[in-house]
Amino acid sequence: MKAKSLIVLSAIAALLLAAVPVLAHHSFAAEFDSNQPMTVTGVVTKVEWMNPHTHFYIDVKDESGKVVNWDIETGSPNALSRRGWTRNSLKVGDTVTVDLFRAKDGSTLASARNVKLSDGRKIFAGSADDGSPDSKGGPTKY
Amino acid sequence: MSRIVLAVAATAALPLISFRAHAQPAAKPAAAAATNDVQPTPRLPDGKVDFGGKGVWAPIWVLDWADKKWVSQAVDVPFKPEGLELFKERRANNSKDDPEGYCLPAGVPRYTGTPYPFQIIQLPDRVVILYEGASHMYRVVLMNAEHSKDPDPTWLGESVGHWEGNDTLVIDTVGFNGRTWLDYVGHPASEQLHVIEKLRRPDYRTLVYEAIIEDPKYYTKPWSTSFKVKFQPGWEIKEYVCLENNKDLLHLGTKEPK
Repeated sequence: MKAKSLIVLSAIAALLLAAVPVLAHHSFAAEFDSNQPMTVTGVVTKVEWMNPHTHFYIDVKDESGKVVNWDIETGSPNALSRRGWTRNSLKVGDTVTVDLFRAKDGSTLASARNVKLSDGRKIFAGSADDGSPDSKGGPTKY
Repeated sequence: MSRIVLAVAATAALPLISFRAHAQPAAKPAAAAATNDVQPTPRLPDGKVDFGGKGVWAPIWVLDWADKKWVSQAVDVPFKPEGLELFKERRANNSKDDPEGYCLPAGVPRYTGTPYPFQIIQLPDRVVILYEGASHMYRVVLMNAEHSKDPDPTWLGESVGHWEGNDTLVIDTVGFNGRTWLDYVGHPASEQLHVIEKLRRPDYRTLVYEAIIEDPKYYTKPWSTSFKVKFQPGWEIKEYVCLENNKDLLHLGTKEPK
């Protein structure tokens, strides 16, 4: 059991430390509004552990109490799994809090940065280098 | 069990450490972490560099082959007016038409700068490169062969290879279809693209990759770029089917790649 808990700890360390880029197949700036960072809390309704990006969906109550379903995009399963995520890291019914950037087209699609899981762990889900404001460096302006 | 845990922890920590500092033996990760030794270049029986091993090459995401943020040296790209115009258009709209967003093949040299691992398999008459990135692509380099007279255009072109001494694998590629971008920021490429790649492995953990880019449609003269790729012992290529759930196109404000 001790060994198992060490492996879990290592996996958490991997989640915290790894800086491999994960959101890496399309333009961040064309799709998401970097001027609109948001934090939302909701209940997971569906998880799509698929390429090129894992998506999960959460029901979020807006100010009027109306429930809106958000589509949250993260890195690819390949990159997330190398960081220690598994397809079971998020489950339907989990309450999660997500730091995100909303799509520019006004839809409820968003690109996730950090996800705080129901057990309190906060894990990085975005890209280290995708051109978003908190990434290490987007392309230089020409 | 503790060794496995250490190995996992070491792998987790690697991306944060500088490139040189974590060059360490793959066979005994637990011991290597303590000594920090640089393990020598592996070689085949004939003395040539062996680019394989138990692991994969795991590149950073090179957004721009000319920007020192990602490559060894900044490049003053010798654009022709046509090339500069196309490049500026792509910058102005934040690369929304990037073919990679459509899960189309990244092409050459871009595959080496996508953040998806690759493996190099050396056979007596050919070198095969397996790319994980969009989408799970392979490339065959025929060694000591001549190019076809007029190769049909393809995404990855036609590659022939040879050795310079025992240390440098040279890959010469023509026959491109002109539909790829050289990188995310959109340095253009046409059917006239000709790429010479030079691969070296100065130590076990390091691949030095150089690409010389020639395309008379968009550039006044050849230009070159280089960067280092690190070896990740223990990693494997994973399946990557990009089209499986590519929802972004609905939100990118474009209908088809240009």
